Amino acid sequence: MFEADEELVGRVVRHLRRPVTVDSALDERVMEQIAHLPAHRGGGTARAAWRWLTRARTVRLSPLGALAIAAAFVVVALSRPDRFYRAAPASAREFGFVVVAPRAATVSLVGDFNDWDAARTPMQRARRDASVWTAVIPLTPGRYRYAFLVDGVSWVADPAAPVARDDEFGTPSSVVTVGGS
Amino acid sequence: MTLHWRGLGSGLVVVTLAAGSAAAQQVDPRLERLDSVTRPIVAALVDSARATALPTEPLVQRALEGATKRAAADRIVAAVRRLALDLGHARDALGPTTSPPELAAAAAALRAGAPPAILTELRRLRRESLTVPLAVLTDLVASGVPVDSAAAAVLSLAAKSRDTDLVEFRRAVERDIALGAPPASATAAAAAVTAAAVQVNAGARQQRPGRP
Repeated sequence: MFEADEELVGRVVRHLRRPVTVDSALDERVMEQIAHLPAHRGGGTARAAWRWLTRARTVRLSPLGALAIAAAFVVVALSRPDRFYRAAPASAREFGFVVVAPRAATVSLVGDFNDWDAARTPMQRARRDASVWTAVIPLTPGRYRYAFLVDGVSWVADPAAPVARDDEFGTPSSVVTVGGS
Repeated sequence: MTLHWRGLGSGLVVVTLAAGSAAAQQVDPRLERLDSVTRPIVAALVDSARATALPTEPLVQRALEGATKRAAADRIVAAVRRLALDLGHARDALGPTTSPPELAAAAAALRAGAPPAILTELRRLRRESLTVPLAVLTDLVASGVPVDSAAAAVLSLAAKSRDTDLVEFRRAVERDIALGAPPASATAAAAAVTAAAVQVNAGARQQRPGRP
């Protein structure tokens, strides 16, 4: 804070108003520089916005704040609705399943690999023999229980696979084991 | 631009921890397929398994199997509870670093009648995954092979055999049983053949010239 000094202000004004000698070629040089500038294409607001977005800034965070942001990312990742479902990793290999059901209208492959959802893996009739039903699915190493569901009502174990001994629901199931070596 | 997060950070931590806790308590949406009586009991069993670091996916799958097969609520709950106990016993036998597929296979082996000591011995003998050896052991027992014979055969092969060798061994046993051989004899014979083949293959691999 300071008080205005009229004499000082007057001197500054006089100094600023004194004539200034300018190089006679200045105008030409300025106009030449302007001519070399890229043509103005509008979008001044957009350009200003872009400059604002791309300008580097310094953000200061307390350790607690940084921890909170990291935790927020973790929560977002954990709360994804598909986190309960297993994606097929790169180590998955395709396995074919075959069952003979001559009088079936529909056959589904149902097991640990598709949440025992009868709608997830419908089997297809083989081209050469309509009584043969097939399905091919990717499986990662592990042991899977499964069965065939014929016409939505009859559970059939795979005659070509070991029987699931620990079957506690009164219907037959089979087991497929996928190794890694 | 300078942002100060001190106050905001504290608030975020509280909100984040609350949200994280809520997410952890969230019930697996697949369990919606269970009826209203079964669902909370199975969810509690799954939460309990998760709290003790046991794999929960086998429990969910067992419950879903029961639901799809229209099993009664008490049977589903009993099956899930029994599997959770088997998974715990399997981990006791194999150690805390055992993978979920190994634990699931070990639980099935225990359910088939394999003694926990066999699982521990298998872990000691084999560096690779135990999923296939345990599954072969279980499948042999399911084929009628006495547990002792199946365990002895798998233990004799476990150290040097690959998964594919063990699967081929199981197929040979099942084929011989189907042809009328006594299960124990079929197992011993197939184990001897597989062990010899593994030995030959290992020798061939050693004689193969290495890369320059």
